[in-house]
Amino acid sequence: MASSNSETGFETLVSKSDVELLKRAWRNEKAAPDILQYESALVDRAKEQIELVEETIDDYTENGIDPLVVSLYQMDLDRTQFLLRSYLRVRLLKIEKFMFHSHKSEEAQHRLSDQEKLFAKRCAGDLEKHFKESVLLKLPDNYQSVLKQSLISEDHDMVPQPHLDTFVVCRSNNFVSLNLYEEGESAETVEMERGDLYFIRYKIVKGEIESGKIDLI
Amino acid sequence: MYGRKGYQLVKDFSSGEKGQLKPFNSKLFDETIEECDQNHHLIQSLMRKMQQEGLDVENNRNADHYGALTHHLSLIRNKRCLMAYVYNRAEIVRDLAWRVGLELLDLPSEIQEKLTTLEKEYFKNHSVAIKSYMGKVGIELNVDMVPPKDPYIKVRVLDDIDEGIVLGDKVTNFSRHSMHFVKRTDAERYIARGQMEELTG
Repeated sequence: MASSNSETGFETLVSKSDVELLKRAWRNEKAAPDILQYESALVDRAKEQIELVEETIDDYTENGIDPLVVSLYQMDLDRTQFLLRSYLRVRLLKIEKFMFHSHKSEEAQHRLSDQEKLFAKRCAGDLEKHFKESVLLKLPDNYQSVLKQSLISEDHDMVPQPHLDTFVVCRSNNFVSLNLYEEGESAETVEMERGDLYFIRYKIVKGEIESGKIDLI
Repeated sequence: MYGRKGYQLVKDFSSGEKGQLKPFNSKLFDETIEECDQNHHLIQSLMRKMQQEGLDVENNRNADHYGALTHHLSLIRNKRCLMAYVYNRAEIVRDLAWRVGLELLDLPSEIQEKLTTLEKEYFKNHSVAIKSYMGKVGIELNVDMVPPKDPYIKVRVLDDIDEGIVLGDKVTNFSRHSMHFVKRTDAERYIARGQMEELTG
């Protein structure tokens, strides 16, 4: 947890390992084309610690502690706040980008927090209403769906989906051996040693990122 | 005919600068919708013709069927162009909400002119969704857009901002060309709207 001991000089107030975890989650989220699992416990802890540090800073400013020390604490706090805000923001922007997909896909829904699910639902509703009023209601009957091109289409062919084939840069934390191609095709594997950097399609490393064995850069 | 208006609409959108809105081209928009209607009428008349000839509409593959298919394909292409036009503009509207401000009146008037009433409606709805999320999570998400370097920055005020703005615990007067040393998070919003500039020298 946060440790604030003014006698032992400058220490990072927000517990070091949590900041590392937040940074890792933030980097992965930024680099991945798809939305990752919501780190609920981490976010809650980070919020608590940020509040604690803010109170400490207020205390210090009132008690007249050296302003340089206070501003160092403030900068550290700013950095952590930025990480947290950017993490949440990147997720929201991904939801906005793939609005209808997040709303319809079961798998994607599992990775969202409750508030994010609500946000996704509202976003999708707003955009659908916007489409209906500007375009769809003016078109002939069979062509009024937001999700399908016309009633004849079999799938929801107007929904943009995240590109899981994008190439990403990643580093492995352990020794990992992965299947390069889909099941049934030639079973070429790639083996990653700990610390190796790879430039590879996101789809292949997706499972490993979720379990924490590989990090995106 | 056959998708030409849709193509022109998309070209009109992409001829603007990336990320900037042009005024909504209602004329071209309505013409594209009319093209869709024409296509639809032709489909219906071709299908009626096939029915009158006693042919099975679903399975019979004669010239009329292919004619109807061509009209159908043009129609959905126009639909895609129309949706793309609306969708891309909506994307820019959302981007404005994040970067510039969540209140419609915060947007500079040149931008407000280019939005239709429906787009302004969408802007408001989307801002409400964002605000509601921020409220539930308890964190403001539209500040801090760039990684922090210094907590305080020097700014120069470019436009007249209303007097008596409260920054932190001080009430300041932002008159034109005055320079201030303020917290970065407070100044961000004004910088995004072009009312202040950061002095880096």
